[in-house]
Amino acid sequence: MGEYFMVVLLDDYRMSKIRGTGLEENIKYMFGGELRLLEVKVNEELKDKILQEFDTARVDSRGAITDVPVAFMRELFNQVVEKKSLGPEVVEAVLAKVDEIKKAAEKESEYLPPPEIE
Amino acid sequence: MSRFLIQRPLPHGGRLVERVVTDKEAAKKMIRGCPSYDIKPTLHYETGVPVRNVYREIMSICYGFFSPVEGSMKQAEVERILKERRLLNEWIFPYPLVFDISEEDYKQLGVGPGDRLVLNLKGKPFAILDIEEVWRIDNPEELAHLTFGTPERNPEVVREPFNKKHPGWVIYRSLQPVVLAGKYTIINEPKFRPPFDRFWYPPRKSREEFDRRGWRTVINHQTRNVPHVGHEFLMKCAAFTGDVEPCHGILVNAVIGVKRRGDYPDEAIVEGHEAVNKGGYIKPERHLPTIVLWDMRYGNPLESLLHGIIRQNMGCTHHMFGRDHAAVGEYYDKWATQILWTKGIPSYGFPAPPTDVPYGLDIRPQNMREFSYCPTCKEMAYSETCGHKREKLSGSFLRGMVAEGVQPPAIIMRPEVYKVIVKWWKHFGYPFCNEKYVVNKEKELEVDLEDL
Ligand SMILES: [Zn+2]
Repeated sequence: MGEYFMVVLLDDYRMSKIRGTGLEENIKYMFGGELRLLEVKVNEELKDKILQEFDTARVDSRGAITDVPVAFMRELFNQVVEKKSLGPEVVEAVLAKVDEIKKAAEKESEYLPPPEIE
Repeated sequence: MSRFLIQRPLPHGGRLVERVVTDKEAAKKMIRGCPSYDIKPTLHYETGVPVRNVYREIMSICYGFFSPVEGSMKQAEVERILKERRLLNEWIFPYPLVFDISEEDYKQLGVGPGDRLVLNLKGKPFAILDIEEVWRIDNPEELAHLTFGTPERNPEVVREPFNKKHPGWVIYRSLQPVVLAGKYTIINEPKFRPPFDRFWYPPRKSREEFDRRGWRTVINHQTRNVPHVGHEFLMKCAAFTGDVEPCHGILVNAVIGVKRRGDYPDEAIVEGHEAVNKGGYIKPERHLPTIVLWDMRYGNPLESLLHGIIRQNMGCTHHMFGRDHAAVGEYYDKWATQILWTKGIPSYGFPAPPTDVPYGLDIRPQNMREFSYCPTCKEMAYSETCGHKREKLSGSFLRGMVAEGVQPPAIIMRPEVYKVIVKWWKHFGYPFCNEKYVVNKEKELEVDLEDL
């Protein structure tokens, strides 16, 4: 019945994508304001689905779902921007691409795309 | 002069071991007519994956990092180490170090005491082993257990029996049965590939570098990690120890050797530490990142003893030790290293700390707890002085952030350090060591050799 969530970290690049979505006011801060993040709501049913689909996934003591593949986390951010929302429909949209994510996750142990910084 | 001034300690054993012949003509003469053997990696006894390369031990012995050890150990010496962590010449030392080969190779070589064996590395003559004794490891599993300890025999610090999940235990379990004991001499100096070449400061050179920089007191920071800001604060703040003045220098000494999947690449580790001084977070005049070759045994207190020996030999006056020093898993008490250096561990042969037993060490331990960000103090705060609730940074949180391609904020990781991670990420296609990196590294090693 509890409230679950997933953390979306925001660096400068991601901040630029968030601007104008109306989500700015939901940003939370850590480390003296230096770490910005959003929390995406996850309901009971979606939490169970995530745990069932990804056996590395865990729920920590605060109710945060962690240790899912990087591909999941990247898609989570994409869907936040696309849906301009932090509601359960975001994770729902991510899970709609579960096969694609699993395929990417398989390759993650050997390859991860580097960020585009100089 | 103040009577409190601390002087640089002598090398462990009183003098630096240096067994490197630099004159190629002399070297050629030394090996004329001698049988030779191609150094093979130690392979995991079950999976066949490389877990150690003895070339790293030969390098560390011959350049003096492990002074006063001079070669592959005789049976009596190994037995003494396992019983009381002492060499036959009395000086303390934590681990057996041997040149081990298979029965088949031994038969084929047909060598024995009195023979000189040329050891080839990557197809080139590299070192010689003057054989004094041939002995056998009858039971490698027992050797592995005796090396690290058991909860029954070492109740002060061992919490779980060692097994194949422990990489150090696996190294000893995987040794070949025939030991050729005797002194090593390098006869063809390997050349480090970039970026490792500029971090190579074997003990004589590091002592000369300390002189050049006017460093009388130097504190060592052990690493096998890319530094985050927590590490940086440990380095800086531990350096406020010293004597009348804070330590003159911070020596970062990265252990370079066989990697495990998920570690950061060695290239990123050394350049990441360098980025800390390039970025001015610790100024270059006070900071020197260096390397030592060693396949980590992860023996926590025992590993800390080896670290103390290496860094005393390099000329350090102090050594910083943190939580879970050189540990993996939950085999040891997480403060086992601190226990060793504050009161000793009798079951390992230390009724007193290694600095307080005969033939012990002179390097001073600096035991540290942790730094993390405090939103109230608004700074990186020390766990033992800050009375607030701090925002702890877990290693897995940071790794997750990196893997996701999100740049950590500067209060967690300096942007210069992150850039180094990304540089090697682009190079290897992965931010951490993947299977390919691990396999390649043991094939190519850190060095190349010229013809003799
Ligand atoms: Zn505080």
